[in-house]
Amino acid sequence: MHDLDDQQWRELLQRLRRFALWLTRDASCADDLVQATVERALSRGGQRREADSLRPWLFSILYRLFIDGKRRERRHTRWLAWFGRAEQNAVGQGGAETEAIVQAQAGLQAFTRLPTEQRALLLLISVEGLSYKEAAQALDVPIGTVMSRLSRARSALRELTEGSPPPPALRRLK
Amino acid sequence: MTRLIPTEEELHAYVDERLDSGRRAHVQAWLAANPQEAARVEGWRADARHLRAALAGLNEQPLNPQLDLQPLRQRLRQRRHRRLASAAVLLLALGLGGLGGWQARNITLIANIAPMADAVQAHRLFADATALDLKASAPAQLQAWLDTHFNQIGPLPDLGSYGFEPVGARLLSNEQGPAALLVFQDLQGQRISLFLRSPSARFERMPSGQRTEGQLQARYWSHGAYNFALVSAAGDVRGEEVRKALGVSL
Repeated sequence: MHDLDDQQWRELLQRLRRFALWLTRDASCADDLVQATVERALSRGGQRREADSLRPWLFSILYRLFIDGKRRERRHTRWLAWFGRAEQNAVGQGGAETEAIVQAQAGLQAFTRLPTEQRALLLLISVEGLSYKEAAQALDVPIGTVMSRLSRARSALRELTEGSPPPPALRRLK
Repeated sequence: MTRLIPTEEELHAYVDERLDSGRRAHVQAWLAANPQEAARVEGWRADARHLRAALAGLNEQPLNPQLDLQPLRQRLRQRRHRRLASAAVLLLALGLGGLGGWQARNITLIANIAPMADAVQAHRLFADATALDLKASAPAQLQAWLDTHFNQIGPLPDLGSYGFEPVGARLLSNEQGPAALLVFQDLQGQRISLFLRSPSARFERMPSGQRTEGQLQARYWSHGAYNFALVSAAGDVRGEEVRKALGVSL
C-alpha cells in the first residue's frame, strides 16, 4: 500500500466505500466498514501486496467484516428477542442516504431488493470489473458458485426490473 | 457445420467481456441467429450498464478525512501502543493483586496468632515453678542479672509500692530468640510475671494491647529493642498500674 499515491488511494477508497454502501445501505455504517477494512489490511501487512491483487484482497476483507458484523447483529437481535425486547428496526433498515439515491434512480430499486450475496456479486463483477476468479476469492466461495449465483442474480434483477416475473423460459428443442 | 450452443456461463462471460476473441466471435454469431437469447443477454448487459451508471455518481462525495492513509497508519500505531500499554497495566495489576493477596494472607495468618502468646505460655509453665535460674529477693539483684543478658534495657521499676517483690528470673529461648521471664510475688502469694524478648520477624512493631486468656491477663507492648508482656491474674486491678510503671521505666 506504500506504492499507491494519494490519487490512487482515494480512488481505491471510493470503490471500497461504494461497495460497502450498497452492502450496508447506510452511509455511516459503510464508512465504518471501510475504515475497519483498511485498518485490518494495514495491520496484516498489505504493504507487501502487488497493486493489482490489492483490490480484490481489500474487497474480500470488507465482505468478510460485513458478514461477521451481520452475524453478530443477528445474534444480538436474537439475544434481545430472548429477553423479550425485539428490536423494531432490525429488519429492512435502509439509510436515508441510499433511500434518496434509490428514489432518484428508479432502476436501483430493483437492485436493492436483491439478496445481499447477489448484490455483492453484481457489484464486484458489473461495477468493479473484477474477474470471476477474483470475485470468488473476495466472496470466499468456489468459482462454480460464483457462476451459478451470477446467473441467478441476473435473472432476478431482470425480473425485478421488468416488474413482473416472466413465464419460465421454455426452450424448444429440435 | 454444427455449432456448439454456448453455455450459460459463456453467455455471462460474454456480457462481462471475459471471452477470448475466437470464442467471443462464435457467441456473437450464435446470438445473431437466436434473437430470443440475444434479447436475454442484452437485458443483462443493459442492467449492468444501468447499475454502473447509477453507482458511478457516488464518487463525487467528499471522502471522510479519517480515511487518509497517513493519519490512519498513525492511529493504528497509537492503538497498538495503547494495547501494549493496557496489557502491561493488566499484567502489573495482576501482579500487584497477587502480591497484595499473598501479603494479606500472611497478615491474616499472623492475625490468627495472638501476640505474645509465648509470654502467657511461659507464665503458665514457669511462674509457679520453683525451677527458676535465679532466685532474687532484691530488685538490684534482678536488675544486674537482666543487664548481663539484655544490654539495651532500662532500669526495672520498684514494684514494691504495688506489693510485689521479686522472686526470680528464668532465661528462655524460643523460635524468636532469647527471652526472659521475671517473676514477682505479693504477700498473698499472687504472682505476676514480666516477659521480654526481641521482636519476632512477624511482629516487628507490635501494637500495644491486652487480652484475657482463661484465668490470665496479658498486657503487651513494644518499646526500644524489645517486646514486653506483663501477665497477671485476670481481674487483678494492680495489673494496669504495674503495666504503666513498667512502660514508663523500661
